[in-house]
Amino acid sequence: MTPLNAVLDNLDQFFKAFGYTLFLFLVCAVASMALGALLVAMRVGPIGVLRKVAAVYVSLVRNTPLVLIFIFFHFAAPIIGINFKWVQIYVGSFDFTSAFATAFIALSLYTSCFVCEALRSGVNAVSIGQAEAARAIGLPFSGVMTQVVLPQALRASVPPLASALIAMLKNTSVAGIFFLAEATATMRGLSNDFSSQRLGIFLCFAIGYIVLVEIVSMISLSFERRWRIA
Amino acid sequence: MTVTDDAAVSSGATRSNDPLVELVDVQKWYGDLHVLQDINLTVQRGEVVVVIGPSGSGKSTLCRTINRLETIDKGLIQVDGAPLPQEGKALAAHRADVGMVFQSFNLFAHKTILENVTLGPIKVRKKSKAEAEALAKELLDRVGVGHQAAKYPAQLSGGQQQRVAIARALAMEPKVMLFDEPTSALDPEMIKEVLDVMVDLAERGMTMIVVTHEMGFARTAANRVVFMADGRMVETADPETFFTNPESDRAKDFLGKILKH
Amino acid sequence: MRLRKAFAATAVTLIAATGLVACGDAGDDKAGRDVEAKNDCDDKFEAGSRMAAIADAGTINVGVKYDQPGLGFKGATDDVPSGFDIEVAKLLVADLCIDPASDKVNWEETISDNREPYLESGKVDIVLASYSITEDRQKVVGQAGPYMVTGQRILVKSDSDVKSVDDLKGKEVCSVTGSTSLDRIKEKGAKGVGADSYSECAEKVLDGTYVAMTTDGTILAGLAAQNEGELKVVGDEFSEENIGVGYGKDKPEMCEWINGVLSDAFEDGSWAEAFELTLGPSGVETPEPPALLPCK
Repeated sequence: MTPLNAVLDNLDQFFKAFGYTLFLFLVCAVASMALGALLVAMRVGPIGVLRKVAAVYVSLVRNTPLVLIFIFFHFAAPIIGINFKWVQIYVGSFDFTSAFATAFIALSLYTSCFVCEALRSGVNAVSIGQAEAARAIGLPFSGVMTQVVLPQALRASVPPLASALIAMLKNTSVAGIFFLAEATATMRGLSNDFSSQRLGIFLCFAIGYIVLVEIVSMISLSFERRWRIA
Repeated sequence: MTVTDDAAVSSGATRSNDPLVELVDVQKWYGDLHVLQDINLTVQRGEVVVVIGPSGSGKSTLCRTINRLETIDKGLIQVDGAPLPQEGKALAAHRADVGMVFQSFNLFAHKTILENVTLGPIKVRKKSKAEAEALAKELLDRVGVGHQAAKYPAQLSGGQQQRVAIARALAMEPKVMLFDEPTSALDPEMIKEVLDVMVDLAERGMTMIVVTHEMGFARTAANRVVFMADGRMVETADPETFFTNPESDRAKDFLGKILKH
Repeated sequence: MRLRKAFAATAVTLIAATGLVACGDAGDDKAGRDVEAKNDCDDKFEAGSRMAAIADAGTINVGVKYDQPGLGFKGATDDVPSGFDIEVAKLLVADLCIDPASDKVNWEETISDNREPYLESGKVDIVLASYSITEDRQKVVGQAGPYMVTGQRILVKSDSDVKSVDDLKGKEVCSVTGSTSLDRIKEKGAKGVGADSYSECAEKVLDGTYVAMTTDGTILAGLAAQNEGELKVVGDEFSEENIGVGYGKDKPEMCEWINGVLSDAFEDGSWAEAFELTLGPSGVETPEPPALLPCK
């Protein structure tokens, strides 16, 4: 009996757990990038009210601990009628229900603030002349942002964006405290069933996270390289 | 001296009564600094006006107010009979009609040369991609960089970049072209290739407002020279008169300094 | 571990503070039984044994749960935890000639994940934290007893149609992450969802997110009592757990001592009295004392 038997005998649980972690990461990455881009457009845009709204949103949500945001959506929001009981998507052996939907909302809202700030640092790195030239050929604000400023800001923001996404990948573990059987929750379950193999179980799951984070870093690096020329 | 426009007298009958750009009593402040004072300038269709003056005289600011990259505090600016829109779609449409060439080129760094020139026609003029590319290639050939179409701006020399910038502006088929010190950021050996394109443009009848110190260009292509100092239009004259016999002391002083070299 | 514990503490505090979970009816204003410290420790324990060492030092660290009404529960305003686990622990503490009501006893919170690590590191001397006796746990810690046999049951809303565990096949059922109950309910064909505490599960059953929650019937009875008229315990017990006392694996002499104290308590009625006082109010009938497992 090796110290890894607990994981080897339960590989299906192991991969399913990281499946949830990965799914959650992917959908949150897409949503938080989209919302983050919208927020940064509001923040650097010409409309004062939207600038204020975005700034307040970012400082409010960014300064709230992620666990509190989860608690809000799990235990406070239902009281005012916001709940995700209606989410019932079943794909193979994966259930995307209330716990997944709540984690998706909480993580995406939270991460979008960091994406917004990463992109904003990128926007600041784009010279003002680029936006002026875009305005000078008659592009409206939306065109200036989507055609010229954001694509360049994105290139300049790859390292901070990667940091935000890697942090988010690890933050998916918070969902494990709240009803989702992702990697961390499954690790705790296995640790309880196989108390004598805690160390081996811990190492396996830690390596799982490290592999995922490494993949994200490598993707980010390849983008950095590809965009260095332009 | 008078600040009212005397173009009708000096620049011939063909343009006498067809004003394209009009600035009336324009005022602008940066805090306490009065950067544009009592600007009255009318540019006729097809006219080439060179704006000259020491640095800080407000000449670049004047140029940039015409497509509202700078706002004004008082006065009126009209292009083709319509006052400048405030914001939004109307302003964007106005800017599409006013071509602008910057001192630092400002080509879109993440797009190829061809994409730089087709972006406006496709997104603003709603041309098809094929149509926009045909036009872009024609213009790039005209300014002599057609063979560089697939490259990125950073791979071109400054002179080439500035010629692409001119092609980008021309692709919008503008009514008037603004040049904000187009050769100031260039190495000396590249200045001529850009000026040649500008002279060619002037000869084709494009209405141009050019902020520059290039006397050669002014003498060759300009109908009028406007001399600015301290935010005011101090003197307006045809190039020959201005360079050989300036009226004001400020102009004499300025020309004395730059013509020594 | 510390971080996770902080999370749990934050969560519990917040939920309590926002009044989302009505904590602390059961188990409150009960000082429990008065258990007097023995005074015969001078030569009771073999020299060099862990019991002698603790008795000599005069202080003891006891790992208990803080979030299980009736068993081990400590409300936000309570000084010490209360419940059946605590009552049994008091008997053991008193036998070491330490006053259970004094501050010589440190009631350390041991959530499910902490129990083995705390015993292994010596952070706690004994654990009474609804600690099921399992073979795998006995590889790393010592377990004596049991002092209680519980059966896993289900808790549903009062107006629910669910009659037994068979009605829960394919449904999402809440329990605590890392608990044996979560594994058992999955074996019964339900989809287990893991929460951080039983009160969170109860909250999610109340708001209708999950049809049921499951764990030891005694805990469920406590929760049902806290939310009278809104939650009810249904169905038969569908699995049995032997709840025992955890101790350090390197102190095997503690097993016989623990079993001895328990055996005395079974006989003199103090065990039954403790049960009645802590779990009786939730409607659990006092059973016969369980049969002790032999020490290895």
